[in-house]
Amino acid sequence: MALGKLQEAGPPAPGVDTVPKLFWQRVTEWADRTAMREKKFGLWQDITWREYGRMARYTGLALVELGLRPRDRAAIISDDIPEWLYCDMGIQCVGGTTVGIYPTDSPQQVEYVMGHSGSRFYFAEDEEQLDKILEVRDRLPDLKKIIIYDMEGLRDFRDPMAMSYDELLELGKQADQRDPEAFEKLLNIPGPEDTAFLVYTSGTTGPPKGAMITHRNVLAGFHSQRQVLKGYLEDELLTFLPLCHIAERGVTALGMIMNGWVCNFAEEMDTVPQDIREVSPTVFFAVPRIWERFYSAMVLRMKDATWLEKKAFNLAMAVGKACSDYRLHLKEPPVHLRAAFKLADWCVLRNLKRFVGLDRVRMCLSGAAPISPDLLKFYHSLGIDMREVYGQTESTGAATMHYAGGTKFGTVGEALPGIEIRITDEGEILIKGPSVFKGYFRDPDKTAETVRDGWLYTGDVGLIDEDGHVVIKDRLKDIIITSGGKNITPSEIENQLKFSPYINDAVVIGDGRKYLTALIMIDEENVMKYAQDNRIPFTTYKSLTQAPEINKLIWREVEAVNKKFARVETIKKFRLIDIQLTTDDDEITPTMKLKRKYINEKFKDIIESMY
Amino acid sequence: MPQLEVKNIETYYGPIMAIKGISFEVEESSIVTILGANGAGKTSVLKTISGVMEPEKGTIEFMGKRIDHLDPDKIVRMGISHVPEGREVFHDLTVKENLAMGAFLRRDKDGMARDLETVHAYFPVLEARRGQLAGNMSGGEQQMLAIARALMARPKMLLLDEPSLGLSPVLVKEIYDIIKRINEEQKTTILLVEQNAWMALSTAQFGYILELGRIVMADPCDELMENEDVREFYLGIKEESVRGSKRWKRKKRWR
Repeated sequence: MALGKLQEAGPPAPGVDTVPKLFWQRVTEWADRTAMREKKFGLWQDITWREYGRMARYTGLALVELGLRPRDRAAIISDDIPEWLYCDMGIQCVGGTTVGIYPTDSPQQVEYVMGHSGSRFYFAEDEEQLDKILEVRDRLPDLKKIIIYDMEGLRDFRDPMAMSYDELLELGKQADQRDPEAFEKLLNIPGPEDTAFLVYTSGTTGPPKGAMITHRNVLAGFHSQRQVLKGYLEDELLTFLPLCHIAERGVTALGMIMNGWVCNFAEEMDTVPQDIREVSPTVFFAVPRIWERFYSAMVLRMKDATWLEKKAFNLAMAVGKACSDYRLHLKEPPVHLRAAFKLADWCVLRNLKRFVGLDRVRMCLSGAAPISPDLLKFYHSLGIDMREVYGQTESTGAATMHYAGGTKFGTVGEALPGIEIRITDEGEILIKGPSVFKGYFRDPDKTAETVRDGWLYTGDVGLIDEDGHVVIKDRLKDIIITSGGKNITPSEIENQLKFSPYINDAVVIGDGRKYLTALIMIDEENVMKYAQDNRIPFTTYKSLTQAPEINKLIWREVEAVNKKFARVETIKKFRLIDIQLTTDDDEITPTMKLKRKYINEKFKDIIESMY
Repeated sequence: MPQLEVKNIETYYGPIMAIKGISFEVEESSIVTILGANGAGKTSVLKTISGVMEPEKGTIEFMGKRIDHLDPDKIVRMGISHVPEGREVFHDLTVKENLAMGAFLRRDKDGMARDLETVHAYFPVLEARRGQLAGNMSGGEQQMLAIARALMARPKMLLLDEPSLGLSPVLVKEIYDIIKRINEEQKTTILLVEQNAWMALSTAQFGYILELGRIVMADPCDELMENEDVREFYLGIKEESVRGSKRWKRKKRWR
């Protein structure tokens, strides 16, 4: 824990009521501090706040030169790289609205978001993202300019509509030299009620909707979060989830300007395990799928351990659990237990945490999907303060979370200060507060449906328990009503299934049916290892999912989960998904959750075969 | 029963896992190919079969008998000949001596003479140059010699490691024609490892695609040739983009 002295970021200065103003305050006060790091040629390179500010300034000024007017939309389609943040701030600083597009989107999806948002600018990461817009630009009358970050492979590419990011920066630099006061004037253009950015959320019915998040939403959300989670200037993040998603946007882009967290960009999704070991973050946000992966990695590592190591691990975890039990009841564990934990940590747990890169972590956050309480327990026994966060795009991210020392497993914590939560008679969760969004862009009907009297209708079903903690049951529309008339919340069962190291994700089916079944996506690494260890021959992924021994293995896991539920809630049959789904597929979200609707559609025949 | 059955083999180079648990089979008298990029583990698979490398885990059965952990010479005696990558002929020996080395384990003089004739029929150039030092021959001739030498052991199965490597298109075609003839006329089973996907897929009946030590596809070759991923990543056929040139590749999916 070589963190040294911890410094908290100061509050926004008086009169700072928009993201650009706060950003500029930080650029001024933290000029020489590291804002972010990027790995280039194998080395982590620092980028200071001064540099961050300069790039955003040039980007913004150049966009104005090119004709960006206040409230115009400008889109970014890129993996997480510094340019994403430069442009996001640049656009907002001159009064524009940022639109994030998932880099995995198809040209048709890009066309929809670009057309619907009426974006006039398109920031493309590289050749691949450029090709998408070129394919559909004839149908985008609002589009004015395409700006490309990485020009590799495009040396001979000439197009009047396109330019490189370097050229854009040069334009901004010239504008800045001509009128050095222009930028500060522009900073004051956006007001708190203006839209800072649009977040397109995939609708389960109909096309995606563009949630308008205002400057007030952002600042309000962060004022309330700051009261329950401490952030320090020395904290390190690892950024790897898509920045266009509200969760990563909130933790990284806004955590930076709010708390001074240092953002470290993972090289790629595939290198996250290595990157996390190199960075060893102190604050780590991830989706449950990632937490499940770390858990599997550690558990499987212990399976290969010697008898003595296993004994030591179990003992250490027992000590860890005893300690965390005290803490979860807001009590300090007795001295002997604390000493025992120190020893256990030093001998066993520390190494295991280092193995996954979580040895320095001060606070872990899980969100964007429900996580199994058993998984939270596991991390707490390791001595990791892991908290669950609940919220939606429409509530600008977090609405509830576990307060410091107030983790209660099976709940998503308490409402953040300034947020009110109510449960309707149908059990739907409603949220009210300054972080509730302005509405859906160009969709007053959907907006009126979602926000009524200032209450955000979340579409989630749940309750508030005796301690004021919110418990989420499921999505309202996902509730299964069997033909026997039983109401079943599939996500509770799915979360238990996902806790198995051999199961990556599962979709429980049974609406209007006699009994429940499940489609299961296996954990490739772990199941292959199992096949290897048990000499089960297989060639491809498909043949692995068809191996009878593997199906038996999964059935044992399903039966173990079935024991925890009432008879009507047990899975009677299951099938393994026999193709490897990637984030390019419609069946999986960018945060790697199976999409129920698409799964039900795509595997219709397989589902029918179970009934 | 397949002639060769490989089950769950894992092979290491020191601490590095070259083959991450793969299983496949080869039917008697067939031509089967394993395709893969550099470093996919293709050569390691052949070396593990021929006994040059030992698998850490898994089993290999040839004609119903376990051959993993046998010494390479025993495996040759059982009927598996390995033509290594880069035509490793004995440079300082003549063509004739090289061929004799191939029959080193044999004692049947008559049979050997007959096989030498057969080999010369397949590769007339080797007869013409029988007195020449192998090191002085061209790449194509050396490749032919390497195959011919392997045939002299009268194998039931021939393991070929990138026979097209470094050869001109005309020579590649010539060598592949001979490989096909050997398979048809001698009924020799052929397990072929290649980077030249086009040649391999049009010669073999069944193909496996190996990526980073794992098999990602297993299908008859005509089906593989129709597969979108094989076409883009192995055959270099891709859809044109709007700009006319496309350098980036989409993600492989293997389905």
